Order: sequence, then structure tokens, then C-alpha cells
Amino acid sequence: MLFDLCGADVRIKWLVTCLLATLGLSYVFGALMVSLYAGFTPNGIAATYAAPEMSMPMPPDTSVVVERPMYMAEFAKPEVHTVDTSLLVQDTHVHLPMYGIIAASLSVLVAGLPLRRGWALGLITLLFAAPWLDFAGMWLTKFASPRFASVTLIGGWAMGAGYLVVAALAIKRMWFSHARS
Amino acid sequence: MNLFVRAAAIAVVLHITPVVVLVKRTDAVQALLPGADAYFAREVHLSATDAHRLHEEVDWSPEDGVLTFYLGKAGPAAVGALVFVRVDTPHGPIEVAVGFTSQGTVRGVIVTKATVETKPWVLEAVHLGLTDHYRQLKPSATPGGAAALTGQAGSLAVYVAGEVDKGVARALAAYAAFYRP
Repeated sequence: MLFDLCGADVRIKWLVTCLLATLGLSYVFGALMVSLYAGFTPNGIAATYAAPEMSMPMPPDTSVVVERPMYMAEFAKPEVHTVDTSLLVQDTHVHLPMYGIIAASLSVLVAGLPLRRGWALGLITLLFAAPWLDFAGMWLTKFASPRFASVTLIGGWAMGAGYLVVAALAIKRMWFSHARS
Repeated sequence: MNLFVRAAAIAVVLHITPVVVLVKRTDAVQALLPGADAYFAREVHLSATDAHRLHEEVDWSPEDGVLTFYLGKAGPAAVGALVFVRVDTPHGPIEVAVGFTSQGTVRGVIVTKATVETKPWVLEAVHLGLTDHYRQLKPSATPGGAAALTGQAGSLAVYVAGEVDKGVARALAAYAAFYRP
């Protein structure tokens, strides 16, 4: 252990607690946002990120008009929220650095927990690998196969799980443990 | 640190917020094609020449090269036509529904979609009567909603009114060039 959260000054403990609470709140709203747009199923994620069928029909020589009856229910069909390549480039550019900073912050806390070196390394790897998986899944879904949507799902759940594990261990260590002399 | 703060600010500025539905499409259809009891989708598959002409005129290419007019009829009588136009702004897309009477003038305009960021600007513009300025416009007219709001509304509401103007201009150009009663 590089340092011990248990023996930290109360101000540091409070800072860490507030940070964890803030991150937790942002994760809750992140999950809500995902549920509003891509959803939590591989099919929903695939529909959001997978490129539409690349049929690219050739335009006709002269404009052609086709008319068909429409029913009101067709207007009410829920529209699928899609993310095109440009938006995915931007999302990756904006989100990944922030996820890196969050993973780094949580990893610093891991360093202050009484964990075996292997467990600590594993947890730190999980914290960084989760957002990589999340975005790798989106890119692979778009350009390789919709089946990779599950990678995004795994990455998202891994991010949540990593946060919960670190938060629970850190809170327990800071507020419910006694430091060894 | 200064570089980091600037990078974060740029990231925030560039981040496009999610799309929000301001008015459901079904409600827009009922409002802009009042009394209609049958609906038809008239799809104009644009030739390369026509698509180029439309793009040159109003900087717009309909999705997949297909321009869709929704027609409403009450019994045998035509109620009018409606077109949904998407305008991509640096702050995300907005969608404008433009309804035409059977005589070919604008019956009404409804902003159906915005983004979390642009929603308050759109609402401010609409509350100040933005969409009233488009009524009775002929297809050859130039929409002037933003100009009408200048001095009455905040700069962001005026800005977004300009984007709505673009959407209306696209609908007018499409109607003039490709709609045949």
C-alpha cells in the first residue's frame, strides 16, 4: 500500500467521499441517459451505432415520385437515435479523456486500499479497460459487426462495477476501519 | 493547467447534447393538416441533377436523396401537404415541420425537435411568435423569422430562429420545385 486511506486526514477522507458521491451521481445520470437513447440491450446499442445498410441506391436519371398511404401510427413510430461516424469521433474525443481521469482518480484510491498487489493491479486494469471496451464496442459495432454491441454493454457494466467496488472499499476503509499502528 | 482548462472548455463547447422532442410528429401532423382523415406519403426520389439543384439553392440534401411530402385528405378534398426538414447546427440538429395549404401557402410551422442545449432558445423564439412570421408565405418567399425577432429576443433565440428560417427556406424550395398537387 503506497498510503492508507484509513489513516488519512479527515479532510482528505471527506474530499474522497465527496468525489465518490459526485462520480456516483454522474454515473446514475449517465445510466439514465443511456436508457433514454441507446438502451441496455445489444439490439438497442446495435441500432444506435451500427451503420445503416450500405445500399446507397444510385439516383434515378430523372426524379421519380412514389405515393403510398400513410397511417397515423406510422408517424408515431419511435425514432431510433443513431450516432454517425462524425458524432462517434466527437463522443470518443470528449468522453475518453474524462473516463481516463475518472479511472485515474479511482486508481489512486485503489493504491490506498489494503489489497494484494495482484488484486490492485487487476482493479486498476478494470477501471481503465472498461471505458476502452465501451468505446471499442461502439466502433466495432459501427465498422465490424452489430454483434460487438455486447462489448459496449460489457464495458458499461464494467465501469459501473469498477466504481462500485472501489467506492465501497474506500468508504469502508475510510470510515469503518481502524488503522493499524 | 491552463491548457487543460482550455481543452476541457473546448470539449464542453463541442459536445452536442441529445435530441429532445418538442412536439410529437403525430401532433404536428394533426395541427398542420387539420381535418384530414387520410394521409399519404409522396416520396420524390431525386435525380442527381435535381438533388444538386436543391443543394445549390438551399444547401440541403434530403436523407438518401428522397424528399418526402406527407399529404392530408378529408374525403376527396386535399387538405394540404407537410414536410419535415432537418437542419444541422453546430449545437446539434433541429427538425422543423412545415405545413402547406392546398393553395400552396404556408399553413404553419412547428419546431418538432431540438437538443437539450438549443431547446430553451427555441422555446424563447417560439414564445415570441417566431412561427407566426411564416404563415401565408408563398414558396417563392424568403423567411425572415430571425430578422423579426432581432431586438426582441436574446441573441441565442435570434440565432436559432435563423436556423429555423433555413429549415423553412428548404421546405419552400422543395415545395416549389418538386410538389405537384
